[in-house]
Amino acid sequence: MTTPAFRPPLVRSSDRLIAGVCAGLANHLGWPVRMVRIGMVVAALAGGAGVAFYAWLWIMVPTADESSKLSARQPASPIAPAVSAPPVGEPAAGGGAVGVGIGAPPGSWRTRFPGMPYGKEILLGAGLLLAAGILIARLVGLDVPLGTLIPVAAILGGAAIAWMQLDETRRAGLVDKTKADQAGGWARLAAGLALVVAGVLLMVSGSGSWEQTWLALLASVAVLGGVALVLLPWGLKFWRDLEAERTGRARATERAEIAAHLHDSVLQTLALIQRRAGNEHDVVRLARAQERELRGWLYRDPDRGAGQLSDRIKEAAAEVEDSLGHAVEVVTVGDCGMNERTEALVQAAREAMLNAARHGGGAVSVYLEVTDDAADAFVKDRGPGFDPGSIPPDRLGVRESIMGRMRRHGGTAAITSSPDGTEVRLRLPLTGAAAPQGAGNNGNGTYGADNNGEEPQ
Amino acid sequence: MSNQPLGKGAESVQSTATRVVIVDDHAIFRSGLKADLDPDILVVGEAGTVEEAVAVIAAARPDVVLLDVHLPGGLGGGGRDVLAGSAALLGITRFLALSVSDAAEDVVSVIRAGARGYVTKSISGAEISDAVRRVAGGDAVFSPRLAGFVLDAFGTAPADIADDELDRLSARELEVMRLIARGYSYKEVAKELFISIKTVETHVSAVLRKLQLSSRHELTRWAAERRLL
Repeated sequence: MTTPAFRPPLVRSSDRLIAGVCAGLANHLGWPVRMVRIGMVVAALAGGAGVAFYAWLWIMVPTADESSKLSARQPASPIAPAVSAPPVGEPAAGGGAVGVGIGAPPGSWRTRFPGMPYGKEILLGAGLLLAAGILIARLVGLDVPLGTLIPVAAILGGAAIAWMQLDETRRAGLVDKTKADQAGGWARLAAGLALVVAGVLLMVSGSGSWEQTWLALLASVAVLGGVALVLLPWGLKFWRDLEAERTGRARATERAEIAAHLHDSVLQTLALIQRRAGNEHDVVRLARAQERELRGWLYRDPDRGAGQLSDRIKEAAAEVEDSLGHAVEVVTVGDCGMNERTEALVQAAREAMLNAARHGGGAVSVYLEVTDDAADAFVKDRGPGFDPGSIPPDRLGVRESIMGRMRRHGGTAAITSSPDGTEVRLRLPLTGAAAPQGAGNNGNGTYGADNNGEEPQ
Repeated sequence: MSNQPLGKGAESVQSTATRVVIVDDHAIFRSGLKADLDPDILVVGEAGTVEEAVAVIAAARPDVVLLDVHLPGGLGGGGRDVLAGSAALLGITRFLALSVSDAAEDVVSVIRAGARGYVTKSISGAEISDAVRRVAGGDAVFSPRLAGFVLDAFGTAPADIADDELDRLSARELEVMRLIARGYSYKEVAKELFISIKTVETHVSAVLRKLQLSSRHELTRWAAERRLL
């Protein structure tokens, strides 16, 4: 794997002169701190740009402490993504323990706007760019109608802040005691605002002309906007605290879910194992089954649909493991959907696994490879082997369940056996059902499909 | 995978004992593994975190490091960070990855970081001893599951031009990988294909090299899908 150069996250350092901005920046960029500080001072002398930049970073960049709280939820190991992404379709098993008091689902800002991971930053940045553009335009000599722009900006700013506020309260479920549906809530809010505005307008217009009303309205909006700007840093801070807290709560929910799962599965199994400690066979069987279940839970790929051929083969292997207490290792390459014929392949493979687990020694290896042309399944054990030709003809297991079944569905089966072990090879052509019957044995089988045989009981 | 790899065994033992360092964050597992290893394998150091591991490996300069994929410390990359931290030793010391996980991203990421093989923790003491000797001898150790991943990533259609193309497996390499995925030991693969064990090892090493160096579109895409890049 090609590891990209590691870059520490941008956080305000605790090793600081003022607010740790320069040290954090230097750490993030991998530059010497002294250089960054000097650069900042020079920039500050150049028309105050450095000061503005510094203040901006001060507000927007979290301290190392806050950041570590936030990122504690990010997985440290590749196992963790599977753990920390709560399964979507599953009932919240841990609901009893925690997870009360969370009105809205912990789908945060980022998940609700998947294409816009830094909406807040982008919005503020766009605003600043706009302001800068206007300033430059004025410097160049363009006539910008500041008289209208400023009030408009104030109104927009006020609206944005109000919206921000509303959004956050709604999500945190603080004010949302009377929470009807979201749409209803928004409608109510809009209606209320409209009423208030209308009321104010009526009141003011009763005592004077429309012009005065407008002026008064503009003035008050401007004042409100100014106040909002002054309060913005605190608002942002407050918001960040809330977000941190919300993340913490989401983590607690995840923990609860993991705990519930571990309790339901692993702890129960461990208790069972302790009670059956005397029976080695049972202990191994329980441990294998639990391992399989836990692996399925940790490593499953949520994007993959269930019920594919490889899943069915793994299920069959699990059944054999459970019933016979014999390890069955499954490796699959490629996959395809199920139909009557692939079901036959699964059944034949299952029969082969049962035979291998019953008569073979050591672990059973199963390999499934699906290509565009065919599905091949191999079942190998390390038993003492047998002579497929010497099996009495009245044993139905191998002859019917494996050979016959494969042949009936246009596939082939071959068995190789030596003192080192036995391998059953199943092949099912996938294109065109009219496959040659009994022809071919994968090129290197030692016994053809018609050598009906069965392992000795 | 418990069938793998059997075969060569004693022939590859060098005159001196193989010196290994065990890196795993579970002390119980370390001591169990130590007890399970054959007597000609000498454990010269143990470590439980990335930092400890890098220090111990640099000090002990072992032949082989048995490296757990999931480790605390470092940059959060576990075994990969140990490999990155020991990059200077990669020519001398060989790494055999060891994990309970059989997730593709874990396996492929340590292999691509420089490990010479990958085995699961459930394999027996004799098998892991054999794997250690094999890795110490410069060969690669493929479990059936790793072979499956390789086939998955490189596709199952053979390359037209053999051997030197990084992005494809030759027909022979595919055959070897398939047999390993089917649970064959190197010896059995050699017998099945009528070639020598040495040739099997050459093929496996070639596949390992391709797995480490290939920028094959499918491999990178496959890795990206699994959040590897």
